Amino acid sequence: MGAGGPPAFCSASKDDAVYYIDLAVTGISFGCMYAMMSVGLTLVYGLLRILHVAHAAVFALGAYATVLAANATGSIALGFVAALIVTPLFGMAIYRLLYEPLLNYRPDVPMIASVGLLVLMQDAFRIVFGEQGVTFRRNAFSFRTFDIAGVTISAVQIAIVITAAIVFLGLHLFTTRTRIGVGWRATVSKPRIAASFGIDPIKVRYLNFAIGSALAAVAGGLVALLNNLVDPTIGFVVSYKALAIIVLGGLGSVRGTLVASLVLGLVEAYGTIFIGAWLDRDAIAFLALIILLMIRPQGFTGAHTA
Amino acid sequence: MSAYTISIVSIIGINVILAVSLNMISGFCGQISLGHGAFFGAGAYAAALVMVGLANVPLALLAALLAGSALGIIVGFASLRVRSDFLAVTTIGVNFLFVGFVRKQTWLGGEMGISGIPPTGFGAPGNMVMILVLACATVAFSLYVNRSWMGFAFRAVGEDEQAATTLGIAANAYKLAAFGIGTALAGLAGGLYTFFTQFITVDAFDFIFSVMLMAMVVIGGIGSTWGVVAAAIGLTVLPEAIRFVNDYRLLVFGGMLVLVIRLAPGGLAALIRNLFVRARQA
Amino acid sequence: MLTDRITPSALGTRALLGFATLILLGVAAATPAQADIKIGFQVPLTGPAATDGKSAQIAGEMAIEDINAAGGVLGQKLQLVTYDDQAKSDQAIFTANKLIGEDGVKLVVNGSYSASGRAAAPVFQKAGVVMIAAYGVHPDITRAGDYMFRLVHLGPPQGAATALYIGKMLGLKKISTITMDNDYGQATMDGFLEAAPKYGIEVLNKYSYSLKDRQFGSIVASVKRDNPDGVYATGYFFTGGPLVAQLRAAGITVPIVGSQAFDSEKFIEIAGPAAEGTYIIDSFDRDRKDEALQKFFNGFRERAGYAPEGVAAITYSAVKLMADGIKRANSAEPDKVRDALAATKDFPLLEGSMNGFNSLHEMIMPIHVNEIKDGKFKPAGEVGDLNAFAPPEK
Repeated sequence: MGAGGPPAFCSASKDDAVYYIDLAVTGISFGCMYAMMSVGLTLVYGLLRILHVAHAAVFALGAYATVLAANATGSIALGFVAALIVTPLFGMAIYRLLYEPLLNYRPDVPMIASVGLLVLMQDAFRIVFGEQGVTFRRNAFSFRTFDIAGVTISAVQIAIVITAAIVFLGLHLFTTRTRIGVGWRATVSKPRIAASFGIDPIKVRYLNFAIGSALAAVAGGLVALLNNLVDPTIGFVVSYKALAIIVLGGLGSVRGTLVASLVLGLVEAYGTIFIGAWLDRDAIAFLALIILLMIRPQGFTGAHTA
Repeated sequence: MSAYTISIVSIIGINVILAVSLNMISGFCGQISLGHGAFFGAGAYAAALVMVGLANVPLALLAALLAGSALGIIVGFASLRVRSDFLAVTTIGVNFLFVGFVRKQTWLGGEMGISGIPPTGFGAPGNMVMILVLACATVAFSLYVNRSWMGFAFRAVGEDEQAATTLGIAANAYKLAAFGIGTALAGLAGGLYTFFTQFITVDAFDFIFSVMLMAMVVIGGIGSTWGVVAAAIGLTVLPEAIRFVNDYRLLVFGGMLVLVIRLAPGGLAALIRNLFVRARQA
Repeated sequence: MLTDRITPSALGTRALLGFATLILLGVAAATPAQADIKIGFQVPLTGPAATDGKSAQIAGEMAIEDINAAGGVLGQKLQLVTYDDQAKSDQAIFTANKLIGEDGVKLVVNGSYSASGRAAAPVFQKAGVVMIAAYGVHPDITRAGDYMFRLVHLGPPQGAATALYIGKMLGLKKISTITMDNDYGQATMDGFLEAAPKYGIEVLNKYSYSLKDRQFGSIVASVKRDNPDGVYATGYFFTGGPLVAQLRAAGITVPIVGSQAFDSEKFIEIAGPAAEGTYIIDSFDRDRKDEALQKFFNGFRERAGYAPEGVAAITYSAVKLMADGIKRANSAEPDKVRDALAATKDFPLLEGSMNGFNSLHEMIMPIHVNEIKDGKFKPAGEVGDLNAFAPPEK
């Protein structure tokens, strides 16, 4: 499962190097997971100017679906497939049933509704799936690790990074090379012109929610693998971090979200040890968010001002 | 009056003050605040510290009021920078920061909270009376503000800030005023809460509680004092009256919040108003 | 303002009228139930402690059923009056007042976390109601007065016993500690830190995490750098499980010792192969050749769908002890029951025989340790030196 300690001839500085690289590995894999989770949020904001707080419930549903389907079928891959089917449907339903009728109100109305939905779903998960949460029945994958010169990297962390790379590359290609993707991007930045070109804005909205939700599902499944536990609070913990991330990255900007996610992941990994003494870890994200909103309400990359 | 009735009436009173004060900020002035629990908590902790140190009730209430208001004005400044839904996010952040910070401070009791807070000396019935008096005063104040020039200015700023400014209304000043007043009252409620429980832990002031308060305001009818009072009473009593609601509290409250916004965004107040209108037309 | 462009739909009106009717019906329908001896029961059915609350509730109900099936106590049946306190102090006070005022209860079992027990204790003490705290570990609970009893080892004594076990029985000297940031986690760790020097233990570093954390990457990396002889962590199974899994995944092979709340089959489920070799202090001995224990074990598993852990066992025993107190007092009057309980000697808890209560009504009993072997809890010794971890006296 990995080495026990450094070889005798190594000095303290090698220990330190390994330590900092270990922290970096944690930070990067976390950042990638946050990125996949948050993209959905920034996509919805970019298109509809709504803060889709209930996205965290979509994420949680993805995590639950992955575990339960994997346990039922015996295959983790099938678990992911199931999640990828269920969550986009849920995401699109949220749009159709909750947001579409509220589009004409001021933006905080759908946001409050979204918060209500998140609170509701969290309790629903507790009631339906139990307080104890669910675990993978057979999950050898979760526990495999590799030792590279003293640095420990787990198989799941590698999977997260690779998946994120594929996802973001795929998104980039999709929005620049395919007709649907280009149409999507056009609708986000210039909706009226896009419509005049014959692109159906309603279809774009559904696509938007579907893709964002699917990505959250993947992130959820990966977190489930990482922790080997999905409990009702899983969505909540990530939800406000995602909010902080999309603001930091510049609302509506996928690239900005990726950058902000990695930054937050690394800051958390390195910062927890030091800041953890006087501030709750989760509050760190909010602190960064508030500071940023006060200094630069447009976020890091400045896309789509507040 | 049984101890149980006294305690439930006390909690109703505290929730009424909280909901009405939130309504002043979010309903009258349109500044959505999803972190009201933080101001409640600030007041509670201030009162607790004063009671433990000096055992002086009026001073504790004053400290509670000031603590809530001080934090509130700081957040109020934030509202000048960002627009409505980001303000909401900022207030959520403030709530989490408050809880996250307090639980790490040993001088505030940390995880253990502050216990052994001396009683007010009024006894439980006396506390209840104090709470009810202050609740009524809060409601009266809210109604008064609503009818006053300040209320008009609040509503103008809440509906259309640009237009309000052209009318000569100093939007920023009024936003700060709304926050300052609303959070002062929340702080006051915090002090009363401290007298009631004599033992506070930071978990009581978390984001979920803030969502509950917002649910009361929305369901009651955002902007309507009486609607919010009715909702605060109803939603406090509901889990006691119906066992199902108690066990599935978050499900019910979250569900009601979603349903009301979706189907009847004006809340109870708008529905009642509509009933009267329809009755008249009939 | 928000209300201006709104025309409520007919559906909305109907929904709200329905809601109002529901409230009225609910209030009208709240009928008090009649039964013989009522035992108040506070459990956290919702909120962060819901997992333990569920277990406690099932265990409590099983105990009542078993007692009543055997004929009840003093010829009367027992009835459990259950309320959800959400593991919150204000709700604990609230439900306590309800039990006293509305339900007229004189004997209570508190099956909730410390925040609840601490808040409810003064209320019950003032009303002269006997309360047995099943697993709330904060010291203030028994300090509230002589009507209070506690059936679980306090946090600090558990920590002190851990220090003895790690230092003397396992012989480990350099330890990294990981504390869960709530009163239970901190109190237990404080006891450990205080007693550690007595057994030659050097604490290399102290880390902490919050109840919500499931990811411990930074702590794990830091512990790896510390290179300790052993790791001691306080927490619940839903934090301990991921923590132990991640520690092992990082290549940390030294023994890991967990606190009492790790004690659950779910811990093994979550941590998987990583759970192997973990020691759990004050874990309950499932292997005891005791008929009552085995019957409880199987019965609980059938009802709940998962195996019972310490919380369930102790809550069951708490209810049983209350019934025994009534029997020995030959009365359900709280004063007499209190005295009978205080005089308890060698009472068979599910976990073993408890010696009795001390002057502060803290439980006296050796601390059992389990080690996880082949995915099962196996006995790994006992800390029998009662003086080493004696709870405070009055």
